[in-house]
Amino acid sequence: MREITYLEAVREAMSQEMRANEDVFILGEDIGVYGGAFGVTRGMIEEFGPERIRNTPISESGIAGAAVGAALTGMRPILELQFSDFITIAMDQMVNQAAKIRYMYGGKGKVPMVLRTPSGSGTGAAAQHSQSLEAWVAHIPGLKVVQPSTAHDVKGLLKAAMDDDNPVIFYEHKLLYKTKGDVPEEQYSIPLGKADVKREGTDVTIVATAIMVHRALEAAEELEKEGISVEVVDPRTLVPLDTETIIQSVSKTSRLVVVHEAVKRGGYGAEIASMIAESEAFDYLDAPIKRLGGASSPIPYNPELEKMHVPQVPDIIQAVKETLNKA
Amino acid sequence: MNHLKVPEKITENKLVELYKQMWLIRYFEEKVDQFFAKGKIHGTTHLAVGQEASAAGVCALLDKEDKITSTHRGHGHCIAKGATPDKMMAELFGRTTGYCKGKGGSMHIADVEMGNLGANGIVGGGIPLAVGSALTASMKKLNYVTVCFFGDGATNEGSFHEAVNLAAVWNLPVIFVCENNQYGMSGSVKEMVKVEDIATRAKAYGIPGVVADGNDIIEMINVTDEAIARAKNGEGPTLIEAKTYRWKGHSKSDAKKYRTRDEENEWREKDPIKRLKELLISESIFTEEKAEALRKEALKEIEDAVAFAEEGPMPTKDDLLTDVFA
Amino acid sequence: MAKEIFMPKLSSTMEVGTLLQWFKEEGDSVEMGEPLFEIMTDKINIEVESYEEGVLLKKYFNVDDEVEVNACIGYIGEAGEKVPDTPPAASGESDAEEAREEVSVEENGEAASAHSDPAENKGGKVRATPAARRVSRENDISLSTVPGSGPNGRVHQQDVETAIAKGAIAVTPLAEKIAADHGVDLKQVIGTGARGKIEKQDVLAYLESAKGTVSEAHAPQAERIKLKGLRKAVADKMVESVQTIPHVTLTSDVDMTNVMDLRKSLLPVIEKDTGYRLSFTEVIMKAAANALAKHPKLNASLIGDEIVMNKEVNIGLAVAVENGLIVPSVKNVNQKGLAELTQVSKELGRKARENKLKPDEMRGSTFTISNLGMYAIDAFTPIINGPETAILGVGRIIEKPVVVDGQLVARPMMVLSLSFDHRAIDGAPAAAFLTDLKANLENPYSLLV
Repeated sequence: MREITYLEAVREAMSQEMRANEDVFILGEDIGVYGGAFGVTRGMIEEFGPERIRNTPISESGIAGAAVGAALTGMRPILELQFSDFITIAMDQMVNQAAKIRYMYGGKGKVPMVLRTPSGSGTGAAAQHSQSLEAWVAHIPGLKVVQPSTAHDVKGLLKAAMDDDNPVIFYEHKLLYKTKGDVPEEQYSIPLGKADVKREGTDVTIVATAIMVHRALEAAEELEKEGISVEVVDPRTLVPLDTETIIQSVSKTSRLVVVHEAVKRGGYGAEIASMIAESEAFDYLDAPIKRLGGASSPIPYNPELEKMHVPQVPDIIQAVKETLNKA
Repeated sequence: MNHLKVPEKITENKLVELYKQMWLIRYFEEKVDQFFAKGKIHGTTHLAVGQEASAAGVCALLDKEDKITSTHRGHGHCIAKGATPDKMMAELFGRTTGYCKGKGGSMHIADVEMGNLGANGIVGGGIPLAVGSALTASMKKLNYVTVCFFGDGATNEGSFHEAVNLAAVWNLPVIFVCENNQYGMSGSVKEMVKVEDIATRAKAYGIPGVVADGNDIIEMINVTDEAIARAKNGEGPTLIEAKTYRWKGHSKSDAKKYRTRDEENEWREKDPIKRLKELLISESIFTEEKAEALRKEALKEIEDAVAFAEEGPMPTKDDLLTDVFA
Repeated sequence: MAKEIFMPKLSSTMEVGTLLQWFKEEGDSVEMGEPLFEIMTDKINIEVESYEEGVLLKKYFNVDDEVEVNACIGYIGEAGEKVPDTPPAASGESDAEEAREEVSVEENGEAASAHSDPAENKGGKVRATPAARRVSRENDISLSTVPGSGPNGRVHQQDVETAIAKGAIAVTPLAEKIAADHGVDLKQVIGTGARGKIEKQDVLAYLESAKGTVSEAHAPQAERIKLKGLRKAVADKMVESVQTIPHVTLTSDVDMTNVMDLRKSLLPVIEKDTGYRLSFTEVIMKAAANALAKHPKLNASLIGDEIVMNKEVNIGLAVAVENGLIVPSVKNVNQKGLAELTQVSKELGRKARENKLKPDEMRGSTFTISNLGMYAIDAFTPIINGPETAILGVGRIIEKPVVVDGQLVARPMMVLSLSFDHRAIDGAPAAAFLTDLKANLENPYSLLV
């Protein structure tokens, strides 16, 4: 199969959909000839023109609201926020408007839009351009939340997000943009709410999101050398969450380690851990659940400190061993 | 109608209709106020008694395809855009027969099919939505306009400035109607806005800004007519400032200590309903008796709406989780 | 028809309002929205505007009156309309309030049930993983009997599985709860269910049989002393001995007349020599050592699957101490005279009571003597001090009628109780040993031979 990057997969998913559906358009800051902060929309304005690759003023609240209003009246906008940190400025429009409109209106009206935004640290961009705030939006009923980890997944999940009649917050990881993978050329859809077992194992389940999927796989590789068999589950979407796959895996392995880049305190890992504690998998747990997440500090600038902030492969290996009383 | 300069669309019959509509709005709100005071309706409510002319005047020119976004003080906009008081009252009673099946309440009444994109509990929250709606019209080449109602308080929100700028640079068919009722909750506009007229803020975005007497329905109709023409001609948005007054407090439990009785009485003299009645009598469009009959009809409709609301079933637990996602 | 003027409910907590002033007098005309009266609530002062228009027909309340929410405080209507002289009753609770109350009742109900106290929380808790709990539940294993391998003794699934394989106590949850409530040690209860599982009736049967000794729930709480230290060591040793060694106990009466004479004559001699008083124990030790030399099977140890024939005759002396039992070892008894035996025994006894025994002094015994002669005990069934294969229990010396040469006479009699390990020793050799020992004591002078 053909190999392309995660970034190209995002662009291809949008381009193919825009060719097929006139209602789909992109709006965002510097997405025109500049090609977007990370170059995702590069070249698209040439094909689709400035009406549909719509460069906006630097007005996150205004453009988020405009996307909501356009979606409510029949368009299917894709809103690109340059950095996921900037959702703070668009929060009212996403949380108080987009997420609630359908419910407040008693089921009338719908808001089919995708808010795409790059998240995560590792670029040295420091505290205001490196956060992973997915737990904020996952907390809000009415929003769907997607965190793809591979080029293959990002294309299929974005197609599903664009097809969805609800507001979807779509987190792309900056460090994954350049990663390559086999991606089918044709359009395909990966249903929202379907986790993917990225590696099968029997001793410990690691539930990891976004870039942590890759670190978990690396840890699993290492642990295999010591005879420890690790299963890596990638939920892919936080809302809706495929609880069944995670419960099944934990019931099988009896041990759970949850890893995400977002700050551990109040992170989505807490939701996954509690979900397991409340599920039938509880009775199969043979060790306390471990959570790994970002430190309780803003993301530092210094590259070494920045690494220390987020879980690394050795941290995951250590956590797995602790659940096996082998640390 | 020799003396009366109004757009063609506004016939004598339409004016008579508008007179009754203003009474409908007022009685609806008075009734709601009374039920809140009696504890018969829970939650909170914001009333626009005294501001009926801007809602009725602006919406008088709108077709079903045209859209509005409204505010927390939005009962009038709703009725003016074609919502029926029975389903509105049922909503305030929290019944499944309400516009939002009892899930939205006073601050979130919407009637998307009738072009009402919804009231909004967030001050300034609906302004970007209106711009989005206008963006749809522009991209899909649909010939509708979007009217965006908001209050004087909202013009100090960032969303107002972002949205007006966006609509201006994209030349979108949207009409921003600022109902300046002099107070953002307790904050007097004189203390919160440095410029004399909010309409002058339009200059900053390169669009026309118009000041109008918000208690004069005829003036409201005429300025709106011009704004619609601009929007439909691709000349972009207009900011209309309707100077008016909120007779009642911000919401319930408002002792109105921030203003005087004298000031209130001054504005009561400018009662928009009374003014239209006097005009229509002087123009011989209707008689005092007809006016009285219309008022009673309106009252009766509101009482019927209450009866309808009271009969409606309460939602059940089964309704709690429906409508979260499409 | 005249319209009620009512006390408005201006906040969710407002129940009454105090009338501060009326802006209108009876007979005045009132417009809708005109201020009619002013009230004070629990939060604010507020002017209430009229919801109606017409003439103020009636005011039922005056300034400073407290009026309940929704109560009718007056009427507005057309001039001359009739209204009641006294205020009508308030129009009852509003729908909204009723709905709220229903909800709160439900909430209370749920709260009450949610807080019911689970009885399982009583007593000490076992640290165990959910998986270990599930497996123990499925197999009716009491987790408290399973040793945990995790940090802080946390019981893991594997631990329970191991315990099951080793034959852990199976008990139904109900039986376990009853046992816990009554402080019953499940090890004492005989299970009658499948595979010896302890069921409710087994615990109840145990309670019935132990009535009076097991404290009832309403009786004063028994003091609970944790098995630890020496007590725990003794307990473990006893259990191991009883569970692994098939004990047989033989008894025999011994006429101690001659031993008493012997002791009487040697007492001053030994006391002068050592400063210690000769007791019967040393004489019995000496007699036993002599017999053991002749019957080496009784002096053997059973270690693993080997019977070890010991060359030395080292006799352990069971000494009661503060919190248990210590058995110091007197070495080479058969080579020591009574004076030396007296000295060594007394010093070991003192060291044991003072907790000063060296490890060496507690090791190496090949046979043990347990003397309860100072109590009113005749015979008992001593428990073998493994890996030894026999133990001698010594009872009191008491005058008993015996027949000597056809004559009924009183003689100082003592019962010896010999327990032996039937794996290593059969009845006949054990009986032969005891017979020789009895002979040694009845004729102690033979020891001089």
